[in-house]
Amino acid sequence: MMTNITNAKVQTAVAIRKLSKTYSAGSGGTLALSDIDLDIRGHEFVSVIGPSGCGKSTLLRIIGGLLPYDGAALVNGAPIEGPSPDISIVFQKSNLLPWLTTEANLNLGAQIRKKPITPADTSRMIDLLGLKGFEKNHPHQLSGGMQQRVSLGQALIVRPSILLLDEPFGALDALTRDRLNIELLRIWEEARQTVFLVTHSITEAIFLSDRVVVMSPRPGRIIEDVRIDLPRPRAVKETRADPRFSRYVNQLSELMGVV
Amino acid sequence: MSEKIRNVVDPVLFLIVLGLLWEWSVRFFRIKPYLFPTLSDVFAVLWNERVSMWNQGLITLLEVVVGFAAATVGGVIIALAIFFVPTVRRTVYPMITAMQSIPKVALAPLMVVWFGYGLSAKFVMAFLFAVFPIIIATLGGLAGTPQNLVEHFRALNASGWETIWRLRIPSALPSFIDGCKIAIPLAMIGAVVGEFIGSQNGLGYVILVSSSTAQTAQMFAALITIAVLSWALFLLMELISKLVWWRAV
Ligand SMILES: Nc1ncnc2c1ncn2[C@@H]1O[C@H](COP(=O)(O)OP(=O)(O)OP(=O)(O)O)[C@@H](O)[C@H]1O
Ligand SMILES: [Mg+2]
Repeated sequence: MMTNITNAKVQTAVAIRKLSKTYSAGSGGTLALSDIDLDIRGHEFVSVIGPSGCGKSTLLRIIGGLLPYDGAALVNGAPIEGPSPDISIVFQKSNLLPWLTTEANLNLGAQIRKKPITPADTSRMIDLLGLKGFEKNHPHQLSGGMQQRVSLGQALIVRPSILLLDEPFGALDALTRDRLNIELLRIWEEARQTVFLVTHSITEAIFLSDRVVVMSPRPGRIIEDVRIDLPRPRAVKETRADPRFSRYVNQLSELMGVV
Repeated sequence: MSEKIRNVVDPVLFLIVLGLLWEWSVRFFRIKPYLFPTLSDVFAVLWNERVSMWNQGLITLLEVVVGFAAATVGGVIIALAIFFVPTVRRTVYPMITAMQSIPKVALAPLMVVWFGYGLSAKFVMAFLFAVFPIIIATLGGLAGTPQNLVEHFRALNASGWETIWRLRIPSALPSFIDGCKIAIPLAMIGAVVGEFIGSQNGLGYVILVSSSTAQTAQMFAALITIAVLSWALFLLMELISKLVWWRAV
């Protein structure tokens, strides 16, 4: 698989200092993010939660090189000036082209980025994501969960060192969402990409992450950075049964103002 | 009866009823043949003059097909230029929309002056009638490309050409085909108008001659031929549009 975590030099994958973002639309503009400091180490799984409109997606887009910003932001040591070939993004809304088959959609990202992949890579990804038998289907012939699997596969097939996920399973029902989270974790535990996950679900964030970052309402600032000390590999039952799990849930719920 | 069979039987029955109504009411009210011929008279003309009707129809068809093909190619190129080149959008686009308000029928005499009495003037007329809806529909399709997909391509660092070729054009296709469906009958109108103004052949010419000689049955025969040709071309477009199946998903 990818880099062996134990041997790899753990370096900062994402470094953000005094970052702020103002959208120019509207009278005087909208201050979406203010004074953000955030470090994500290589191979770390970091989730961000916060109220709707607090700037989570904005932060993710800035890291992805899709938005201009004020302040300093580095990816793998280099200032962000545009989309990086080391980064793959998955959004909530399916990124699949309706006129392409599952296979073709899986390969699309690699083709556009001119990263060589073999048919073996594609079929491995199809196996990995449980898409066997649906290779020739078009997106509208897939369930919402399967569509997001394909999106994830397209992101993973180029072996990115950083994965940005913006509520990738947010539009799915709870059951499918749980299943996909478990699969995501299984995939991540093998490849150990650096992950930045935006989510609304506190339990999802805790279950998956090494750290959960909590943001304030707009203008978004980071109000807490919680280290999740739960053993890996994580299994649903054991992890949820762990007393620390419920303590994290309480702590984060309080920060989010839901209790 | 199954839906499939009724899809064919219903319109045919409807046409037969209309035809019988036509035939009987003309006979019953003893309408003069030069005002309104019976359907059987019209069919008689269609049969007796089938060779000349076919040949005149082929000429009109050629004018429509050439004019429409040119409008398709030209319309797509103009739409791409307007969409991707800001200078063209600022200059050519307003001019085209303004020119659209000039009645194109009024341009026919000018086309005769410029291109003479031959086929070229009719090609140009068919082109002029057909090109505008194709430009507008293609532009709409290009602009209607889902924003999340455009952003996704940006995240993948896709080149401009790659974004056009792999994303913008396929997403614009359904809308482009709709434009073609509107443009096909318009191309037919353009060709016939061109034939009215100056021509020695084509179905428009047949109509004109029939009118001056009060051969109304022949005029109806030419009108029916035009309608059938238009309809066949439209059906062909429907078939082609089935290839762009992702419109509905
Ligand atoms: N393109 C834009 N132009 C102007 N303002 C924007 C734009 N995109 C986002 N905003 C504003 O910036 C703020 C943050 O938006 P963002 O989408 O980052 O929030 P979010 O935390 O992802 O919300 P959600 O949880 O609902 O997805 C919002 O107030 C929003 O109105
Ligand atoms: Mg968001």
